[in-house]
Amino acid sequence: MKAFDYIRPKSLEEAVGHLTQGKRVNILGGGVTLFLQIQNNELTPDVILDVKALPGFHDIRYHHHHGLKLGAAVNLQHLATGLEIRRHYPLLNQTAQELASPQIRNRATIGGTLAWASPVSELVAPMLCYDAVCHTWSPRGTRTIPVSELYLGDFKTALEPDELITHIHLPSFPARTYGVYQRQTIRHDGRRMIAGAATLAIHKHHTLTNWRIAVLGVDDRPKRVPEAEALLEGAPAEADIARALEAVQENIHPQDVVYARSDYRRAVLNALLQRSIHDIISNLQDS
Amino acid sequence: MKHEIQLIVNGETRSLTVESQQTLLEALREDLGLTGVKHGCSTGECGACSVLLNGEVVNSCMVLAVEAADAEILTAEGLATDEGLHPLQKSFIDHHGVQCGYCASGMLISAKALLNRTSRPHEEEIREALVGNLCRCGAYADIIKSIQVASRARR
Repeated sequence: MKAFDYIRPKSLEEAVGHLTQGKRVNILGGGVTLFLQIQNNELTPDVILDVKALPGFHDIRYHHHHGLKLGAAVNLQHLATGLEIRRHYPLLNQTAQELASPQIRNRATIGGTLAWASPVSELVAPMLCYDAVCHTWSPRGTRTIPVSELYLGDFKTALEPDELITHIHLPSFPARTYGVYQRQTIRHDGRRMIAGAATLAIHKHHTLTNWRIAVLGVDDRPKRVPEAEALLEGAPAEADIARALEAVQENIHPQDVVYARSDYRRAVLNALLQRSIHDIISNLQDS
Repeated sequence: MKHEIQLIVNGETRSLTVESQQTLLEALREDLGLTGVKHGCSTGECGACSVLLNGEVVNSCMVLAVEAADAEILTAEGLATDEGLHPLQKSFIDHHGVQCGYCASGMLISAKALLNRTSRPHEEEIREALVGNLCRCGAYADIIKSIQVASRARR
């Protein structure tokens, strides 16, 4: 790799100094995509700013009323194994277990994965279903960005170049919330994504409410499909499910890739969603 | 930018001077001579460079040496003891887990990470643990068998 300086600030105040010197600065979380970009000369930083020693960046705090706070430097393996995650956010837990490889999960951070903004980012699908919000910091102050507004498509985000994700917040959900993650890839480690979907609903008075459907690999960014979600409210019959699946098809724009044509990605997504919705409904009937 | 760091490699504290951009893989192979850590793809896909970093398996090509300062590192060289080869190593030899051998040290490290948390893994758990390790010879069936046998041999 081309030479750069490595800085590991211990406070945000210390980080400001490096962000405002007019140098090319790239922020380092786990490095699993940053180092590839540097190797390929897509990025030529003067300084790499490692955020892993910043205070609060490794926090994992759950409160039954306020929800879950995840520091930006928490790695994906924690999402796959953490007790709070497994108990209160099983859809996030299930998705994390399928992500990449153990080697990558042990390094990749939540903040870095969200900021990388891949159109096929699997982590984003459950984050969208759980209404996750990014808390950010820059030399100009702090702000919040819902994950649903973070992605502008094709690896672009609403983040400024000197803006860091400090933590993610997920609101609390009722115990009887059911979620399913389904995906089809060429490689088992998630590379060469054909399509994926996270689906979630809350069980209330013998009905299923607050449906959320987040799709990936079928548009320029992972996204919710509210047009389909609305059609599933209550106790959806087969006809409602068929209409919801149609609504999904009308609201996606998959691209042809060498390993999957767009019509194949559409068909795969349809099958995955059909399976997921039926899984959630049968969960209701079993309970 | 140069950094003076210490690494605890296979139980031994080693001091070295690294450049910011130097990867842990380069430091282990070139500065410390631990050539059991293999350089494969440089992109975190193949797992040939896998090591344990504070007990967790990582691709050493995707970690800067300076990021690993003060950490405990285990490479394939650290598996054997004075009493002989590690049960995983013996089993890889006995059950043909090593074909050309290039992926073997990474496979052994991923297997060690698995056995550290699950003493008797099912085949499915072994497969999951090896998702990040590629074998160009396609010796997967023998590698999985080697790990299964080693886990049964352990008490």
